[in-house]
Amino acid sequence: MSELVEVVVRGLGTGSVYALLALGFVVIYRATRVISFAQPAFMVAGAVAVSFLSDEIGYALAVPVAVLVGAALGLAVERTTIRPMIGKPVFVIAIITLGVDVVVRVFVNALIGTDVRQLGDPWGLETVSVLGIAVQQRFVASFVVTGLVVAALFAFLRWTRYGLAMRAVALDQEASMAQGVSVGKVFALSWALAGGLAAVAGAFVGTGSGIDQTTYIVAFAALPAIILGGIDSIVGAVVGGLGVGLVQSLVAAYQPDVAPWLGSNFQVVTPYLLMLAVLLARPYGLFGTPEVERV
Amino acid sequence: MTTRRTNTLALLLAASFAVTACRAEGNGSEASEDEGGIQTDVGVTSEACPEAVNADNGCIYLGTISDLTEGPFAPLAVPIVAAQKAFWQRINEQGGIGGYDVDVTTYVRDNKYNPEVHNQVYQEIKGEVLALAQTLGSPTTAAILEDLKASDVVAAPAAWTSAYDFEDVILESGTNYCFEAMNSVDWAVREFGAENVMAVHYPGDYGGDAAGGVEAGAQALGVEYADVETGQGTTSQGGAIQAILSQQPDVVFVTTGPADAAAIIGQATAGGFGGAFVGTSPTWNPALLQSPAAPALKAAYYQSGPWAPFGGDTPGHQAMRDALGDVTPSDGHTAGWIWSYPMKAALEAAVDNGDLTRAGLLEAVKGLDTVDYEGILPEAAGNYAAEPGEAAFRQSLISKVDEAAPTGVSVVEELFASEAAESYEFSGPCF
Amino acid sequence: MTTMLPTKRETSDATVIAPTRRRSKPLRGRPGMFTTYAQELRLLNTRPKRIWVSFIVLGAVLLPFGVADDWLRLLAVGYVAAIGAIGLNLVTGYAGQVTLGHAFFLGVGAYTAAVISGDPDGRTLGLGITFLPVWLLAAGVVAGLCGLLVAPLAVRLRGLYLAIVTLGLVFLGEHIFKEWGAVTGGPGVGRSAAVPSLFGYELDQDGPFFTGMQQMYLLMLALLIIFAVLARNLMRSKVGRAFAAVRDRDIAAEIMGVGLTKHKALAFVVSSFYAGCAGALFYTVTGFFDPGSFNLLLSVQFIAMVLIGGVATISGSIMGALFIMLLPRFTQELPSLLPVVSSSPTDFPNVFQVESVLYGLLIIGFLIFEPRGLFGIWIRIRNYWKGWPFTY
Repeated sequence: MSELVEVVVRGLGTGSVYALLALGFVVIYRATRVISFAQPAFMVAGAVAVSFLSDEIGYALAVPVAVLVGAALGLAVERTTIRPMIGKPVFVIAIITLGVDVVVRVFVNALIGTDVRQLGDPWGLETVSVLGIAVQQRFVASFVVTGLVVAALFAFLRWTRYGLAMRAVALDQEASMAQGVSVGKVFALSWALAGGLAAVAGAFVGTGSGIDQTTYIVAFAALPAIILGGIDSIVGAVVGGLGVGLVQSLVAAYQPDVAPWLGSNFQVVTPYLLMLAVLLARPYGLFGTPEVERV
Repeated sequence: MTTRRTNTLALLLAASFAVTACRAEGNGSEASEDEGGIQTDVGVTSEACPEAVNADNGCIYLGTISDLTEGPFAPLAVPIVAAQKAFWQRINEQGGIGGYDVDVTTYVRDNKYNPEVHNQVYQEIKGEVLALAQTLGSPTTAAILEDLKASDVVAAPAAWTSAYDFEDVILESGTNYCFEAMNSVDWAVREFGAENVMAVHYPGDYGGDAAGGVEAGAQALGVEYADVETGQGTTSQGGAIQAILSQQPDVVFVTTGPADAAAIIGQATAGGFGGAFVGTSPTWNPALLQSPAAPALKAAYYQSGPWAPFGGDTPGHQAMRDALGDVTPSDGHTAGWIWSYPMKAALEAAVDNGDLTRAGLLEAVKGLDTVDYEGILPEAAGNYAAEPGEAAFRQSLISKVDEAAPTGVSVVEELFASEAAESYEFSGPCF
Repeated sequence: MTTMLPTKRETSDATVIAPTRRRSKPLRGRPGMFTTYAQELRLLNTRPKRIWVSFIVLGAVLLPFGVADDWLRLLAVGYVAAIGAIGLNLVTGYAGQVTLGHAFFLGVGAYTAAVISGDPDGRTLGLGITFLPVWLLAAGVVAGLCGLLVAPLAVRLRGLYLAIVTLGLVFLGEHIFKEWGAVTGGPGVGRSAAVPSLFGYELDQDGPFFTGMQQMYLLMLALLIIFAVLARNLMRSKVGRAFAAVRDRDIAAEIMGVGLTKHKALAFVVSSFYAGCAGALFYTVTGFFDPGSFNLLLSVQFIAMVLIGGVATISGSIMGALFIMLLPRFTQELPSLLPVVSSSPTDFPNVFQVESVLYGLLIIGFLIFEPRGLFGIWIRIRNYWKGWPFTY
């Protein structure tokens, strides 16, 4: 039983990272109808920023600054590469973001170097006692912080003018423009938000083991999360991210005993199989809106 | 066909034959003889090396294929390359070998610890070098082994797999993973009274060889043995950690890269595991002392190895420290330095024989029965002439984590060979 | 249906003017005027095309006699990549189905071929049949069957959903290849690739007249020409037109009678066949490969080849493939031109980083500035000279 609790907490912890990344994907998609493959690079950039800054100003201050760095990076990318491509086919822009990912990662990997870099987080591998069961602190911290960030995002979308503008642009770009919403600013804001969210994800992805040049692969598990949650749903992103993390953790813990023929590290593939299963039942994801196809 | 067409066609054909002359050859693949009467073929030129120390000397080009950017051993590989550069710089400053300077910097390639890339880059430099000063990784070297044998290219591997003792072209140094593991099991049983051991390892010639040694040692001493294979990547160690926590062995022998080892050891200890860990020599990196796994490493980690670490007290170690100067110490330096000794001995023997061709270098290697390691290893460790069963060097040592030491480990048990290792019938590779 | 235009010249040559099937010749002095549909559809329908193509093919055939072996290796690999890129262009460029799963089919083809022609006594599975056409076709067929399995997904999903699901295919494939050590050798260990032998003659070993690399180069060139002509023919036919309809407006196409399911499935099957053949040949040049190679990066490389070369063109795929495959070689020469860039991987900036950055920048640059890719650049040049000196 205690093992199950530990596994669930680990799943929620890693799921929070996926949820943050998925939120970034969804925010960009809602505004621009593009999937940005640059999120892994933003995540690692945020992690590197935290890793360098936490030596100077401590982890707690480094994370907000890293968020600003991530947001600035997202904004820069949007202005230079996405803005000229407004109106072009969505697939082309998605591939451009792939190119951006490659370029940003080269610079970020150069900063990481060949060794594993530590983030300087206060949790390390220590455990805390929850209901009498020892669970790792970093997972609890990750979950709590993600919850706060998601709540802040919901509040922003619900109660501020720019949140309203973003929701309007997500529904219909032309109508929003007609109503006086600056669609360009909303695009920029979406990318900046996505960069910031990815930076928070990066701040937690490296706790406990540090970051190295292969850390960016973790971010790809967020793609099935957005598909199964619904590509344009904020709630779906969070549910999808947490779900993927939870299922991954359960599979990692129990699959070697239950079904060893599936091979080792089967949990890497599980998010995609989960996504396929959900798509068979609900082709637009759990919370997604069905697309209207016109001739 | 009109006259005009025939003319154009004829012109094209003529031009194409003229172009044939452009087909250039590699770095002197013709056999030739230089002034000293030494025969040479590939990879040896009478022009000086670029950035030569002795401008009158010719140049022997040695290739280096190492994990410089992406793989799990990159933090070790970069110091290995640096140490080899320092070693051959020292040799060049002492006058070179037989009127030649040795160049190990022109043909350095990255293999990303991937056998395919390794093969690719080897094909690229093959035509330009006499031998390989370094080829890093057991599975990666396995990918080019057939080609090495077919082309008589001698190679000093940055790896210790037992298969190398059976290959003439491979110039290994130090005991292999198999014997190292057998000795470690022996020591663990003596030190901890272990009855139950587990080997956690990468697949392939590196991890599999050590696991074979652990199994042989365990069988010889009658202890229980479990085998857990794991992949590369700190997030892929979940299975290994789970296995340790559920089976609870007394000692775990880890044969992976440093970052993965830290993940396994740190998280297993955090999960409640109380036993000890013994890592095979490439598994350690002093940077691990900054990781969250550091307390676990300090408490429970031991390191086996083929020779004393950076801070060792032998003339060879001192020469290395002098040649390297002010660097962040790493046992990659130690390894790179020591691996170069047999190559030097082989080159000197080849020059004495007057035959610095590839075939000649191979003959020289087959004739070596001692190598001067400047005290780091006994001279008999460099025996390439006798049968592997007799010639293989079977001693290794054990170190413990020591923050005060230059590379974070210091020796607790000097070079020894366990009974299991001594009596082992070494007729084939352990993997 | 052929028609005859009874001009003076034609009637004076002809003995009988009968409205039967006779392939009409192009008018002398009016080479660009097509009088029949068949003429327009011809593979090389204008004289400049015929001249250029014969130049290029002749040059490619004569190249092995003038160029060193390592360049031949690069070019041979480039030609094989072109086969794969043609396959991807068929499904993504012509039929509009975005797929990131090309690496999976490459892997399936590579391992099928390796198993069929592998050494039966080796550490990995092998059947020992090294006859080239056997393992090449088998690789293509097996990969095509996998494509057939994936096709129902493509029919139900569209756009980015399809892209991400095919991405999942790559990860699934990676996992299978890593775990199935008997076939692949296991990650970090790998296995030897398919052995090309034709009627007992091993093509990758030095022969009596040519070196191994020359033979491999010529083999890959021949296969590329065959595959390219086949693809072009397919796209000239009604299947190609159906693909274009599916790409542009698939619902309207279905209404018009172009079966969506059938054509999407066909696109995937053909593209996977090409990918399987390309995968099988890819590694015969180097001779050894590792299961970790069939990852997202490989898929992205092929997408880059298609996008940079030119979407929906066969010659564009070939140009893009050669460009991407030769790029690392050119960036390696960079340190001698720009001393700032070092060739040691520990300094910054170094050659490997420049190569990766250049790669990403090229993708971005081409998509922003020249969406039709290298083929679009060629069209621009061609139009300039066509209209010269009236270039406004």
